[in-house]
Amino acid sequence: MKTEKKGTSSFASAISKIWSQYSFIFVCLIIFIVYALTCNGLTWNGAMNIFRHSAVIGIIALGMGMVCLTGEIDLSVGSMLALVSGFSVVIFNVTDNILLTLLFAIIFGAVCGLVNGVLVGGVQMPAFIVTLATMLIYRSFAQYFCQHIPKELCGGGSSVYRIASDKAAFQSFYDFGNGKIATIPIVGIILILMTALFVYIAACTKFGKKIYAIGSNAKAAVMSGINVNAVKIIVFVIAGALVGVGAFLWISMNGSADPATTGNSYEMYAIAAVVLGGISMSGGKGKCLGIIFGAMSYTIIDKIIVALKMDSLINDAIKGIILIVVILIQVAGPQIKAKLAKQKIG
Amino acid sequence: MSLLKMEGICKAFNGVTVLSNVRLSVGKGEVHALLGENGAGKSTLMNILTGVHARDKGSITFDGTSLENITVKHSEEIGISFVHQELNLFNDLKVYENIFLCKEYTNKIGKLDKKRMKQEAKELFERLGVPMNPDAMVSDLKTSEKQLLEIAKALFFEAKLLILDEPTTSLNNDEIDHLFSIVNKLKGQGTSFIFISHKMPEIFALADRYTVFRNGQYIGSGDIKDTNPEEITKMMVGEQYSDEDLYEPRENGDVVLKLKDFSGTGFAHVDMEVKKGQIVGLTGLQGGGSSELMQCIFGSTPAYGGSIQAFGKTVPNHSIHKAMKSKIAMLAANRKENSVVADMNLLENMYLAEHTLSAWHFHINKGKEQKKFDAQKKSLNIKAQSSADMITSLSGGNQQKVFLARWLNTEAEILLLDNPTQGIDVGAKAEIYKLILQLAKSGKTVLINTLEIPEIKKVADYCAVFYNGSIIKILNHEEIDETTVMMYSTNAMNTKEDN
Repeated sequence: MKTEKKGTSSFASAISKIWSQYSFIFVCLIIFIVYALTCNGLTWNGAMNIFRHSAVIGIIALGMGMVCLTGEIDLSVGSMLALVSGFSVVIFNVTDNILLTLLFAIIFGAVCGLVNGVLVGGVQMPAFIVTLATMLIYRSFAQYFCQHIPKELCGGGSSVYRIASDKAAFQSFYDFGNGKIATIPIVGIILILMTALFVYIAACTKFGKKIYAIGSNAKAAVMSGINVNAVKIIVFVIAGALVGVGAFLWISMNGSADPATTGNSYEMYAIAAVVLGGISMSGGKGKCLGIIFGAMSYTIIDKIIVALKMDSLINDAIKGIILIVVILIQVAGPQIKAKLAKQKIG
Repeated sequence: MSLLKMEGICKAFNGVTVLSNVRLSVGKGEVHALLGENGAGKSTLMNILTGVHARDKGSITFDGTSLENITVKHSEEIGISFVHQELNLFNDLKVYENIFLCKEYTNKIGKLDKKRMKQEAKELFERLGVPMNPDAMVSDLKTSEKQLLEIAKALFFEAKLLILDEPTTSLNNDEIDHLFSIVNKLKGQGTSFIFISHKMPEIFALADRYTVFRNGQYIGSGDIKDTNPEEITKMMVGEQYSDEDLYEPRENGDVVLKLKDFSGTGFAHVDMEVKKGQIVGLTGLQGGGSSELMQCIFGSTPAYGGSIQAFGKTVPNHSIHKAMKSKIAMLAANRKENSVVADMNLLENMYLAEHTLSAWHFHINKGKEQKKFDAQKKSLNIKAQSSADMITSLSGGNQQKVFLARWLNTEAEILLLDNPTQGIDVGAKAEIYKLILQLAKSGKTVLINTLEIPEIKKVADYCAVFYNGSIIKILNHEEIDETTVMMYSTNAMNTKEDN
């Protein structure tokens, strides 16, 4: 069938193949062009800012992407971001050490993910329920401890974890979160490096292929000797650790973490970025490269709305509509194609 | 006068022809036996008739009208009812709810008239002589009761044509007699039946006419009273395959697999010794224990007692990974469910298993994997254009070869093949036998479980017949033939000769 069509339509089929595999790039590009047209005078810095503002959600979405590839879901990442970033602020205020803070953030995030992983992979509870529960738990912890620890640990703030600006390492920490290397924001570089790492893991390592196999056919994965439960636990731990990295970036960029609002709806944005990036929610299909484009698409939409001076409350509506339209094309496209093909035969 | 006439029916799945120009005609008030080996195309034809699959070619006339674009609902409405082999009941609903599903009686405002439904269900059961409570949960019923409920459900809506797909597999003798008396009674009232069964005595007790398929082709039909079981079997099995002489005795090495008083789900107290390079056939009726034994050796189901030794070493506490480390591999039954990773290409499907053994070498060396794939592709004669093709683009036989490659790639020495030729067309089957013999010659030890006895005859050095969870008889290569094996696997001998 495929070889027959070679000839005049080969160009069209090549385009449609690229579209079906890399639609996330086109979507992101289209949104970017709209942004370039609306912001009257796109600057290099403005473009680079997209990286900066995509960093946290992008890194969290990478973890979410791994989880989704196994066919599971993690609703707790937003709350986890609040909890981990809050506690990381405390650690920084106590130790005055950036490296220790980073280490703590990653390990604490991984532990939070481990809780999810053990319950989902080990105990075999449904991921939706488990992570819904931990979403409530982590957010609650973040808010509770903010009120119930000595004030000086959270930078003297009343309901916010704030980095104490009198610490020796404060300035270099702040510079890290807001600085640039060769005009590119440092946090953006970290996002790109992380994406590269996970594209490599997913596409070129044995562990990555196991993730895909589990999402595609868990039974066949078991029968091939893959320890499905262990892989699922590891994937949730990775997702947690990535939230830890995101939390570290968050506090370095903002200097504080508000347990009530930090990471609000981030689980939904992360899932949306993953889906927009072409990863199937039932698992087994999709490219990790798509995630960064999915995340950036949403960041650009934010910027468009600011540029147009629209009410930011309309933000989520536009994001939702774009998600529906893109997925509609992905789902309805093949159906229409199949219908046309059928008519040709009949 | 015929109620149903199907003519020139053709059907292919993904390029594999499963029905080629077959016909079937069923008269009014007739029990028509549809016969053929597994994979002959009986189920496909019935699925076409009931609208599950669309036919590629051919015509169907039912009750005087020609049928086009059949849907499941439409076929039910005109009076065709399919009692499936696998039970299509809703376990979480009650008995009467299952009967009336989508056809519920309601009052004017749409409230369910439960009383009337229960009453009528009760009357139906009384009429059929089935002691069943309409209020019982289906999940609480025994398998045989579920089977009867399926049939009762079809009868309730006064089907003109009832398709019974192996209805007696889960019934005991009394229940079978009872079912047959119901069928005979309804036949008297003008209902027609298509009766699919492998059990000759039943066919000759119940059916009026027969049609035989073989490998998707129409072989013949006629009146049951003009024929005998031998003739029908010959039609079903066909002339003996010409590649009979593939088998040749081989020198066997030392014992490499030893089962001692081995027990698990579905089998118990199995003792067995297999030598290097041997091919052992395991067979028996469905649920007889042969497939279960295989799964347990591979560690996919827990063992309850006894031990396995592979290459002189005890295989530790059963897990698939540990079995693989002991150089045991299993090509699982139900390829689609247990082997196919549909979102992956051929190369990825092949290297998956081996990578669990070499997981600590994180990086995938694509060039090296490709070389391994090419070697397997050549030695197994896998027909595929490139290793980047999706697994689903291959035919069943070639898919199976890829999965064979998956296990050979792990350098396993003991291969457990569970129904390896399931859903594969004849040509590819012959190739798989050839491969199995080649593998044994090259020193691999093969255990093959299949319900198809000619298959075992072709490759096995000896055959272990299972009955009710244990080995009832060991047959040497020369002793294997269909009748003997059948007799032992149905325990017709009633003698428990120990091996």
